[in-house]
Amino acid sequence: MFKIFTQKWLTGCFGLGLLGLSLFVSGVSNAQAQDVQIATMRDNILLTEEVAPPAIAKVENKDLKRMRDYPQQPPTVPHIISKYQIDKNVNQCMDCHARDKASDVQATPVGVSHYLNREDEYQAGMSPRRYFCTQCHVTQTESKPLIDNVFVDVNDLMKPAAK
Amino acid sequence: MKLTRRDVIKAQAATVAASVAGISLPASASNLITSSAANELTWSKAPCRFCGTGCGISVATKNGKVVATHGDVKAEVNKGLSCVKGYFLSKILYGKDRLTQPLLRKRDGVYHKEGEFTPVSWDEAFDIMADKWKATLKAKGPTGIGMFGSGQWTVHEGYAAVKLMKAGFLSNNIDPNARHCMASAVGGFMRTFGIDEPMGCYDDFESSDAFVLWGSNMAEMHPILWTRIADRRLSHPHVKVAVLSTYKHRSFDLADIPAIFTPQTDLVLLNAIANYIIESGNVNQSFIEKHVNFREGVTDIGYGLRPTHELEKKAKNANKAGASKAIDFAAFAEFVKPYTFEYAEKMSGVPAANIEKIAKLYADPSTKVMSLWTMGANQHTRGVWTNNLLYNIHLLTGKISEPGNGPFSLTGQPSACGTAREVGTFSHRLPADMVVANPEHRAYSEKVWKLPKGILNPKPGAHAVKQSRDLKDGKINVYWLQVNNNMQAGPNINEEMLPGYRNPDNFIVCSDPYPTVTAEASDLILPTAMWVEKEGVYGNAERRTQAWYQLVNAPGEARSDLWQLVEFSKRFTTEEVWPAEVLAKNPAYKGKTLFDVLFKNGQVDKFPLSHISQDYENQESNDFGFYLQKGLFEEYAAFGRGHGHDLADYDRYHKERGLRWPVVNGKETQWRFKEGSDPYVKAGTGYQFYGKPDNRAVIFALPYEPPAESPDAEFDMWLSTGRVLEHWHTGSMTQRVPELYKSFPDALCYMHPKDAKQRGLRRGDEVRVISRRGEIKTRVETRGRNKPPVGLVFVPFFDATQLINKVCLDATDPISKQTDFKKCAVKIVKA
Amino acid sequence: MKNILALIKLGWQILSRPAVHLSLGFLVITGFVSGVIFWGGFNTAMELTNTEAFCISCHEMEDNVYMELQSTIHYSNRSGVRAICSDCHVPHAWSDKIARKMQASKEVWGKIFGTINTREKFENKRRELAEHEWARLKANNSLECRNCHEFDSMDFTRQSKRAAFQHSGALASGEKTCIDCHKGIAHKLPDMAGVQGISH
Repeated sequence: MFKIFTQKWLTGCFGLGLLGLSLFVSGVSNAQAQDVQIATMRDNILLTEEVAPPAIAKVENKDLKRMRDYPQQPPTVPHIISKYQIDKNVNQCMDCHARDKASDVQATPVGVSHYLNREDEYQAGMSPRRYFCTQCHVTQTESKPLIDNVFVDVNDLMKPAAK
Repeated sequence: MKLTRRDVIKAQAATVAASVAGISLPASASNLITSSAANELTWSKAPCRFCGTGCGISVATKNGKVVATHGDVKAEVNKGLSCVKGYFLSKILYGKDRLTQPLLRKRDGVYHKEGEFTPVSWDEAFDIMADKWKATLKAKGPTGIGMFGSGQWTVHEGYAAVKLMKAGFLSNNIDPNARHCMASAVGGFMRTFGIDEPMGCYDDFESSDAFVLWGSNMAEMHPILWTRIADRRLSHPHVKVAVLSTYKHRSFDLADIPAIFTPQTDLVLLNAIANYIIESGNVNQSFIEKHVNFREGVTDIGYGLRPTHELEKKAKNANKAGASKAIDFAAFAEFVKPYTFEYAEKMSGVPAANIEKIAKLYADPSTKVMSLWTMGANQHTRGVWTNNLLYNIHLLTGKISEPGNGPFSLTGQPSACGTAREVGTFSHRLPADMVVANPEHRAYSEKVWKLPKGILNPKPGAHAVKQSRDLKDGKINVYWLQVNNNMQAGPNINEEMLPGYRNPDNFIVCSDPYPTVTAEASDLILPTAMWVEKEGVYGNAERRTQAWYQLVNAPGEARSDLWQLVEFSKRFTTEEVWPAEVLAKNPAYKGKTLFDVLFKNGQVDKFPLSHISQDYENQESNDFGFYLQKGLFEEYAAFGRGHGHDLADYDRYHKERGLRWPVVNGKETQWRFKEGSDPYVKAGTGYQFYGKPDNRAVIFALPYEPPAESPDAEFDMWLSTGRVLEHWHTGSMTQRVPELYKSFPDALCYMHPKDAKQRGLRRGDEVRVISRRGEIKTRVETRGRNKPPVGLVFVPFFDATQLINKVCLDATDPISKQTDFKKCAVKIVKA
Repeated sequence: MKNILALIKLGWQILSRPAVHLSLGFLVITGFVSGVIFWGGFNTAMELTNTEAFCISCHEMEDNVYMELQSTIHYSNRSGVRAICSDCHVPHAWSDKIARKMQASKEVWGKIFGTINTREKFENKRRELAEHEWARLKANNSLECRNCHEFDSMDFTRQSKRAAFQHSGALASGEKTCIDCHKGIAHKLPDMAGVQGISH
């Protein structure tokens, strides 16, 4: 009976501030053993049920660079990009992230890899195969993942060896 | 000014980040590593786990963990690039809810259909499975069991599965989820060329003058191939990109010629282009005289619904949907004559001027043109027709099998080609394009498999949608799903899927690394090793076969699908599954297990463990005592060698970044059917479409027929479903990567602002998407990446909390049996 | 017919004759009032051409620029304060407005002769049309932007860091004006190759 108060819904509506309530509710759900569902991404909702979807998630717009999981990971975008046009007419990301613009606005210039063509040669400008930034660089919403990820950072793996 | 701002932001960022993480900044945060050994990573290659593009990925491991992934710079396909999903591959293995033990529904210590999932041993899991399988085989024979596999199976897994089902249990009730994805493409290839898979390859991207997308959003679904088109278009100003779709999406950002057409009218547009090619005198006469036959297909073929459905009862040719008769060029020209640009504009809504522009790209002999399509063309109640009509325009102009010129059927899954199609895991197929209904093909397979003569089942089994219906109807009672999430990805969940899974007579087994909604609906869940936790081979859309080693161990007791299939075969003796008269005639097979006759047959167990690379683990081989993957591959390769499907030696694939079959005399093939490029084409012929007995491809006369369900007064909108860039299929892997989850957490209903306004809806409003079959709740999105025209909504299917496939219709193409997930009628109301 | 001609003739005679029975005061007041009425009518008519309904009565405007506007912040946003076409494209000062309206008659000409009556023609003209607006806004120091977005009322502490940095620097010093950075805020940008300040 409490299943409409799903974690997703709570996060969407009240944010992390109501963690206590969330714990309370999940505690109650767990008590109803016969109703506990194992499809974790289903967020404890019966397959036959429909519940209120969370509000459209807001994009984080704090301009704070996020740590990468490994050096090769494309950085996620720390600001809203919905207003920027990227099509064959113009790439507005490059208004700030181009090599000759980045210092003006203290943005991160595109990485050196972006100048490589398919033949692995550096070109004068950015390679057109990298033109559509959002194929690799995505924004992050203020949503909370339903499932944790236990990926281990290589630095943590190196610690015992370094001693 | 600038410096101040930077300093402020830097300081602020560091403090905020530190306070968020609840730590104070350590003084030694920037210590350098001094030991080279500690700093070392082991880099290996593997194809990407996601789409059919088949990007090469460099995978770094350390201390038994995957620690980094990026695009392989040596891989021809992607040359160092990867899309956002590919870059985050490292994390798909590490969702916190990985399954590590078999789970069986139990009540009071024993299996119970309504019991709770309880951890059990592999032995107990296989015991109950074997009991259920044996009881069903005894009661109903081979049609009572079923298996639903995947285009994400490795070649080895698909091959072991098809062998276990078709040669072991003598059941053809095995189908892959590629039925939902590529079956119409297969149907198109077989009908037009008599041999499956594209003739061209990705090298075409670098020499085309025009790209025409027919029902494909490559910018999101094949992002790395899109980088090759973007590269070509943006650095060669003469190049044109035309994008045809039923709604506007990201691929339109590069479109010179955009075209939004009314669902189903691609059939009209394609015929209009063929008509224009003929009327403008641009038919390549010598090509069609030498290399092409003309045929007219039967019409009024129904919609692949249950035979009791009104539409099926009304259809005249539902049971001979694939039939056709020979015609000539004049008859074909007459057939397409009514398809004028004016008629096409009236039907499709695309301005005649735009249709003409697209037609000219094809008609102009000096323009090299590449057609590309995926689910818009395949998930279509006339999907095989659409594929046939696409080939028509390339065959009429002879623009095929040469660099930059060609029709290219894009593939959805990483091994839909390699496994589902080449291995032949469809209910009607055998390896290397052979079919169960053909006695010669069965005899050949029996020989390769060293089986008693005449043992293989000649009757095609149940395809994907039929399997669901048979489960509901109690015709199939035991069912094993591997590497798919059909309860989320299959059509009409409420009416045609869930009832079968929860049917008290049925026992459902689901093998998966994660607890998906399909696992939820099952009775036994088997924990599965995924991607680089096992050795494997995938085959991509350009016929490229790629291998990888096991790089890390799977968590807990998770085992690969391959291990599960082979281990399960030990539970059955030939006496239990083969007819007594076959064994009486072939006493040598008596008293043996299926493991003995299928896998320990002197072929599959031919290669000793010493052949395995010393640098890598191999769980399955070590368990069974021989190099299982190599044995399976080499036996499988025997089907195709010398028959146009030649594969190289297994070991070579571990060294190469893939090879495109046919691999003859050690050399791969880029363009098939073309003299000089394809070793199977004889000198002096120019072209040979050798899939057909007379070496001629077929141009088909096929009309427009309406879709199974169209909007009406009550259900007044079209619904199209599909994917988004950030998530792979049902999101069971990508939704567990926090960065990907947070980039696109929930499904949305993309809608035209006018449609929203008309219904009193605003962006963000909660709505019910309702069809005659079911409904979901979601939220309205009037902005963002997808911009449907008035009258159509788009809802992606990755979100397990919003099962949009409850709403979808289980209508299929009657020839390919592939579901149309792109068209049904819905209404949208405020929740 | 004769009667009508006679009537006109009579009318003219009355009009051309100096006022004998009416006072100067009456004439002045009447003249003023009718002037106001005429003037008001003129301005009302002109205001009518400033409404959104008028602008999007042409499909060229509705299908292209108006569609694009709707997904931008100038149409739909948190507080519901929105701009209509004339807010940005018609000067508020009267003399500028008249000048702009004279210019706009060219657009009507374009409508009649179908210069942009297809999406493709519009796309081909997009750069030229955009450049006119950029030039106009550059020349008047982004006056129509500033009609609503007053520099003195900007609270930099409530802007994102990137925005605050630009507004307190380049904009404050007069080095840049709004349109220098905020191109394409309400409509799609044209092919920007060669536009100053655009990198590829």
